[in-house]
Amino acid sequence: MIQMKQINHQFIIGKKKRKTIVPVLENVNFQIKQGEIVTIVGKSGSGKSTLLNLLSGYIRPTNGEIFIKDQNVTKLSEGDWADFRIQNLGFIFQSFQLIPSMTAYQNIELPLILKGASNIARKQQALDMLEMVGLSDHADYYPNELSGGQQQRVSIARALVVKPPIILADEPTGSLDSENEQELLNFIQKLNRDLNITFLIITHDDQVAAIGHRTLLIKDGKLQEEKVHEVHR
Amino acid sequence: MKFIDKIRFVRQNMKKNRMRVFMTVLATAIGCAFLIMLASVGFGLQKSIITDLTEGKVLNEIYIHGKEDPGPENKSYMSDKDIEYFESIDNVKAVTRLQYLHYSQEAVVSIEDYQIQPRVAVSYFPAEVEMGMELSEGRLPSTDNEVLVGYNFKEYLEKPSEDANEPKVSYEDELIGQNLQLKIRKFDQTGNIEYKTIPLKVVGIKEKLANEFDKDTNITISDALFQQIEEFTQTKKGEVLFQEIEYEEDYLDGVQLNGERLYDRVSVYTQNVEQVKGVSEEIREKGYINTSVTDQIQEINTLFLVMKIGLIFVGTIALIIASIGIFNTMTMAVTERSSDIGIMKAIGAHPSTIRQIFLIESSYIGILGALIGTVSAFVLSKAVNIGLPFLIETMSEESSPEGLMFSYIPLSLVVISASISILVAVFSGWRPAKKATSVDVLKAMRRDL
Repeated sequence: MIQMKQINHQFIIGKKKRKTIVPVLENVNFQIKQGEIVTIVGKSGSGKSTLLNLLSGYIRPTNGEIFIKDQNVTKLSEGDWADFRIQNLGFIFQSFQLIPSMTAYQNIELPLILKGASNIARKQQALDMLEMVGLSDHADYYPNELSGGQQQRVSIARALVVKPPIILADEPTGSLDSENEQELLNFIQKLNRDLNITFLIITHDDQVAAIGHRTLLIKDGKLQEEKVHEVHR
Repeated sequence: MKFIDKIRFVRQNMKKNRMRVFMTVLATAIGCAFLIMLASVGFGLQKSIITDLTEGKVLNEIYIHGKEDPGPENKSYMSDKDIEYFESIDNVKAVTRLQYLHYSQEAVVSIEDYQIQPRVAVSYFPAEVEMGMELSEGRLPSTDNEVLVGYNFKEYLEKPSEDANEPKVSYEDELIGQNLQLKIRKFDQTGNIEYKTIPLKVVGIKEKLANEFDKDTNITISDALFQQIEEFTQTKKGEVLFQEIEYEEDYLDGVQLNGERLYDRVSVYTQNVEQVKGVSEEIREKGYINTSVTDQIQEINTLFLVMKIGLIFVGTIALIIASIGIFNTMTMAVTERSSDIGIMKAIGAHPSTIRQIFLIESSYIGILGALIGTVSAFVLSKAVNIGLPFLIETMSEESSPEGLMFSYIPLSLVVISASISILVAVFSGWRPAKKATSVDVLKAMRRDL
């Protein structure tokens, strides 16, 4: 489903003579199968967010190739990446990234609008998603009128509404309290079981990491070890 | 993303900052109204002049002035041969021609004690009738001595008076059916002046001329009578040769009778106005100098076209100033919404979709501005056309020319101005829209991912 081959990435800091090259990822290779939940753990600055940004197409690798659903996405144009993203990827962000001027319903409807879905279809699907995340009665609430947990559920509903085969999540529980965190983790596992959605989750929380079938540890830009969780064997 | 959804997005975004959008639309509307009003003065004056020029005139008339090369005999008159040529041209409906009695004849027409010194002419009635010549009274002549008189003939048929201060007394009775006397003259061999009086009968009075300042005092006699006069004087057009003048031999040869008719005024009429240009050019190529009202209109139109282009250009400057406002509004909109743009891009919005949303927004401002500006310009134009004549009368104590239109807004001006407004708006929004597409997702989301 997802494959990274010999990925190297470096940032260039400063300009001209004063520029410094900072390597972020070095020779990263891994593969994720369909229906897997893979968690990536590592300290701050280890390169895990860069890894996710590469998989999201927000940045391009310095070297190496990325395959998603058997398609080499390394050299897609910005427009093609946008099309690929809307068709195949769902995103859950740490700080939810909801558009503040849009209601919960409108935020969830947004990917369907971008995809060009019909009015009837998108209304039905957005309402179904709201019901699925238990926020049917909060459809007309603006993000600032919702709690952190509710906002994250809206964010998940937005990620799921186009029924993507892959969801990329960056610290999805980072802004949630323990009760909401557990609720969200159960929900992710349910979605994985019921809809066979592949999850790639970046976290530094052991409890979150534990829900994955596998956990990859990244240290100083290199994949260090791979841990397969017993519970999922 | 569907177009209707983009429009919905734009409307939502514009509602967020109503006052700023309103001020930008207002600036565009003022620019558009200024452009229309400025150019409408050019359109108004052009319309007034053209209306004035064409009033009562036949637009399919080509007036023949003469030949470019009159030839060795210096004949600027048209002959029957020329008329034959004009009549043979395709699309020519009729050729009217007039022969005037020579000015040296100073023919006098009288009835009882009343006299007039009219212009004596011969016209070809079939062509005149074809071209719609109408009589205000009576009928067309049918015998040699029957004549038509101009509409103002009676008014100038006056009792001669030695005292110039004495009020003129015009003929008051019915003119149709009256007998007139045409008195012509020549010098005989001995140098004595010899007069001849020819009896005429008025059978018709011509229609009033379209231009009320033109007075028609002509008298139209028959071709036979004209020839009779020529035979009396033994010169073409009844020219009087004075004893005291020594004429050159060539000149004397030229005025000698040879049975040839020489026309003073020839007009060629086409079937319709569209054919005027073609026929006029064909005639010109054959060496005949000619003009037509259509030619004059074309010259005026060319002159006003240059003037209107100038006015539109000046007016466009106002719109360019308004475009700075649009640019500013759109740039601020992009800056304010960069976070939203980043989120949209992060979840899969195509860069072209983002660009189109902002271009639609700037176009929307342009369209609204053009709409409000056009309506305002129409109201202003109406007010100017009503108010300015009053103002002129008040300030100069003179009435403004009748039918003068100060401001006229044709559909073409509305289309041009609206197009310029919208184009300027789209152009102003282009760079901010481009900036929106290049918003960095990670920066916009504060590097959350």
